[in-house]
Amino acid sequence: MIELNMTFFAQIINFVILVVLLRAVAYKPVVNMLKAREDRIKESLDKADADAAEADKLLADYKKKLAAANVKAEDIIRNAEKRASEEREAARAETKREIEQMKKAAEAEIQRDRERAVAQLRGEVVALSMAAAGKIISKNIDKAENEQLITEFVDKLDKDKIGDLPC
Amino acid sequence: MGEEVVHRGTEQIMGFSFNMETLYMTWLAMAIVLLIAFLATRSLKIIPKGWQNVVEIIVLWLHEQLDAMMGERGRFLAPFIVSLFMFLLVSNWLGLVPKMASPTNDLNTTLALALLVIVMVHVLGIFMKGGHYIAHFFKPTPVFVIINAIEEIAKPITLAFRLFGNILAGEILIVVLLKLMPIWMPIPAVAWLAFSIFIGGVQAVIFTMLSMAYLANAVKKEEEES
Repeated sequence: MIELNMTFFAQIINFVILVVLLRAVAYKPVVNMLKAREDRIKESLDKADADAAEADKLLADYKKKLAAANVKAEDIIRNAEKRASEEREAARAETKREIEQMKKAAEAEIQRDRERAVAQLRGEVVALSMAAAGKIISKNIDKAENEQLITEFVDKLDKDKIGDLPC
Repeated sequence: MGEEVVHRGTEQIMGFSFNMETLYMTWLAMAIVLLIAFLATRSLKIIPKGWQNVVEIIVLWLHEQLDAMMGERGRFLAPFIVSLFMFLLVSNWLGLVPKMASPTNDLNTTLALALLVIVMVHVLGIFMKGGHYIAHFFKPTPVFVIINAIEEIAKPITLAFRLFGNILAGEILIVVLLKLMPIWMPIPAVAWLAFSIFIGGVQAVIFTMLSMAYLANAVKKEEEES
């Protein structure tokens, strides 16, 4: 039952054949595939690292740009505020100037009107006085003397500020 | 009884006797192993799916074991170890199928495998370590060469007879139980069948692990030895 014969050598050969076949059919492909996957994973990881580094760089870039943009925006706002306040100031000054001018013009006009009124009044007073005086002392005084009298009277009027006119 | 339980079908071919049933069963086991291997690795993808995961786990586990036992130098033994384990597992279970026999219930098969392993151990040992390998049989003192020699001779014998005895006993007992028990009482036979399946797996593992251990002794680097 346990006799040994040529089967012994046949089994050795059989098993060696099995090892060779199995190695070719199954083991090599599996190992090659594992190697390929390892390579691919390594590649992917390397690429991911590179991508992450690039992303970090980009992020830093954008942050810098954003900061610069913020500074610029603040500048612009500050400038705009400054200009607006300048313009407001200018507008106020202009308005003030215009008001001043208008006031001056009005004053001048008032002055002019008053002067005209005074001159007119004076003329009228002279004429009235002459008429009155002529009526009173018709024939006593000649014309020249008359004239002088009236002028004096009127001058005196001016000096004593008779007649309540706003001068 | 032996005649009835295990048909060797011994025939004379060119003056040599061959156990034909053992050979047929061996070829069947080889075919099954190759078919399984082919089906499992038929469509390998970078992204694994289904059976490929199992195959990968086995290969990676084996590489881990080999690396742990003998360092990177042992990697080239992986196909041998895988073949050994798969062949033994299929062979051991083949005998549990009715009308079939395990190739491993023949001492020719188990001794062939055991001697193949031991010859590989010594050849690899001399090839990889040279004089150191020879010298280590004479340590710690030259007298120990006797004990070492007995140990080296015992290795293939224990490997071969352990497997042979376990498998043959399992098959014989199944036949005996079926003959002793009436047909309406199949429980002992079924229980023994289940146990034989377990034994078949365990013996395949033991044979493979011991082979790995012996090979590791020969292959691993000097400085790794304690």
